[in-house]
Amino acid sequence: MKSSPELRPCLWDGLVALLVVVLAAACALAVWNRGNDAGELTAVVTVGGEETDRFVLSGTSGGDRTYSGNGYTLRVSLSPEGVRVEEADCPTQDCVHTGTITRTGQSIVCLPARIIIRLEGGTVDKDAPDVVIG
Amino acid sequence: MKRFASALLAVIMMVGVTSCGWRTVSPDEAREVIQVIAMDTVMIFTTYGEKSTHADYLSEDEARRLEALLSRTDEGSVIYQLNHAGGLGIDVGEEVCGLMAAAEEYTAATDGAFDITIAPVASAWGFTEQEYRVPSQAELDSLLTLVGPEHITLAGDAAALTPGTQIDLGGIAKGYASDRMADILKENNIPRATMSLGGNVLAWGDRPDGTPWRVGIQDPKNPDDANAFAALLHLTNAFAVTSGGYQRFFEADGKTYHHIIDPATGYPADSGLTSVTVVADCDLDEVDGGPGVGTMCDALSTALFVMGEEKALDFWRSGAYDFDLVLVTEDGRVVVTDGIADELERSEESGYIYEVVS
Repeated sequence: MKSSPELRPCLWDGLVALLVVVLAAACALAVWNRGNDAGELTAVVTVGGEETDRFVLSGTSGGDRTYSGNGYTLRVSLSPEGVRVEEADCPTQDCVHTGTITRTGQSIVCLPARIIIRLEGGTVDKDAPDVVIG
Repeated sequence: MKRFASALLAVIMMVGVTSCGWRTVSPDEAREVIQVIAMDTVMIFTTYGEKSTHADYLSEDEARRLEALLSRTDEGSVIYQLNHAGGLGIDVGEEVCGLMAAAEEYTAATDGAFDITIAPVASAWGFTEQEYRVPSQAELDSLLTLVGPEHITLAGDAAALTPGTQIDLGGIAKGYASDRMADILKENNIPRATMSLGGNVLAWGDRPDGTPWRVGIQDPKNPDDANAFAALLHLTNAFAVTSGGYQRFFEADGKTYHHIIDPATGYPADSGLTSVTVVADCDLDEVDGGPGVGTMCDALSTALFVMGEEKALDFWRSGAYDFDLVLVTEDGRVVVTDGIADELERSEESGYIYEVVS
C-alpha cells in the first residue's frame, strides 16, 4: 500500500523530533543537577567581612595564595583535598594551628587579621558535625 | 500545523518538568549562612526559612550592639565607664543592670566559682591584652582583695564598684547574646538554625531531614585538629556551652597557664578538667530576650570548670538549675550526666573512656 504524501516524514518533522529530544535531555539534566545542588567544594575567603576570593578546590593544582588584613598577612596553601594556613605573622597563630580543613562547613579564622576561609559546597557527610563547640 | 503544535507541547512539557524541580525547594529549606567576627570570637549563623537572611543580619547587628555595650576595653562602653568611675555610681541602664544581677546570682549559686570581678586578676596574667606574664603572689594577693560580689552595688538602673574593682562580663556576654538571638529566631519564625558564638551554640529546631543537630565537642587533647572530637551531641532546641583551658593559654618556664582563673586563688584553675560542656533545653515559650538559659549555661560552664569533677557533679545533683554536663578530664575520661547520655555519640578514635553518672 502506498502511503499518503501528507504522512511521509519530511525535514521539518525531523527538526521537531530533534527539538523534543533536546528539550527532554535538557529537562533531565536540569532536574538531575538540582539533586546534587551542593556543587563542588569551594573555598570562600573574606577579609574584614568582604568576600575577596572564591575558588573551586578541585580546580587548583596546589600552590600558595596570600591574603592580608588589618596589617597581617597569611600564606595559604591549597590542594584539591583542602586548605591550610602555612604561615602568618599574626600574634595568636590560631589560624596556623587550625591545620587543614577538608569538609564543607569548616573554616579557618584569623581574628587579628579578620580573615575567614570557609569551605562551601561539595558532598555533605550526614554523619559529620553540623557545628563544633570548644 | 501539527509540527508547531508538537513543538509547543514540548515547550510546555519542559516548563512543567522544571517548575516541578523548583517546587522541591521549600521555604523551610532555604538556608543562609553568615560569619561574623564580634565579641572577640568568630560567630557562624546558619538559619533556614523564608526570613533566614533577615534573621542572620539582625543577629549580626545584635552581636555588634552587645560588643559596643559590654566591651571592657572600648572606652565608649558602659562597662568601661563603670570600671573607671572611681567608685562613683553611674547609670548603666536596665539591660546591663539585669546582666549584672544575673551574674551576681550565679556567683552566689556557685559559691564564688563564677565571678565577674576577677577581671583585674585576669589582666595581671595578660589575658585581656594578650601580653602574657606570671604575676607575683604579692601582686595577686593585693588584687584578690578587690574581688568578690561585695564590691558591687546595684540600685535600680545604677551600679557602683569599690574603687579599684573592675568587672568583665565576658563570662556571660556570649551566652546572653545567644539568648537574644533565640528571641530573634522566634520573632522571625525561623524553623531551624544553628547559632555558633565561639564556645556557645544554640541548636534551634532540628536538621532539615528531621534528625537532631549534630554538635561536636572539640577534643581538648587536640585543639589544633578541626576533625578531633571528644564526643558528639545530638541536640534539638538546646543551648550548649563549652569552657576549656585549651582555648587560650600561654607557656612560661615550662608550665602552661590558661585563661580560666580560680577566684579563690587568683591562679588558673587546676581542677583536673580539660573542658566542661553545659547543655540545657531552650524552651521556646520562655524565650523573651532577657538573660535566660544561654546566659546560665555560659556562667555555669566557667564555674564548673573551676570547681572540678566532684564539686561540679555535686552541683548538678543539687538540682539548683536544670542542665546536663559533659566533662572531659585530664586523665582521659569523658563523664556525661544521665539526662543527656542517650544523646551523646562516642568518638571511638579519640581514645577516651566514657562514663555515665547519675
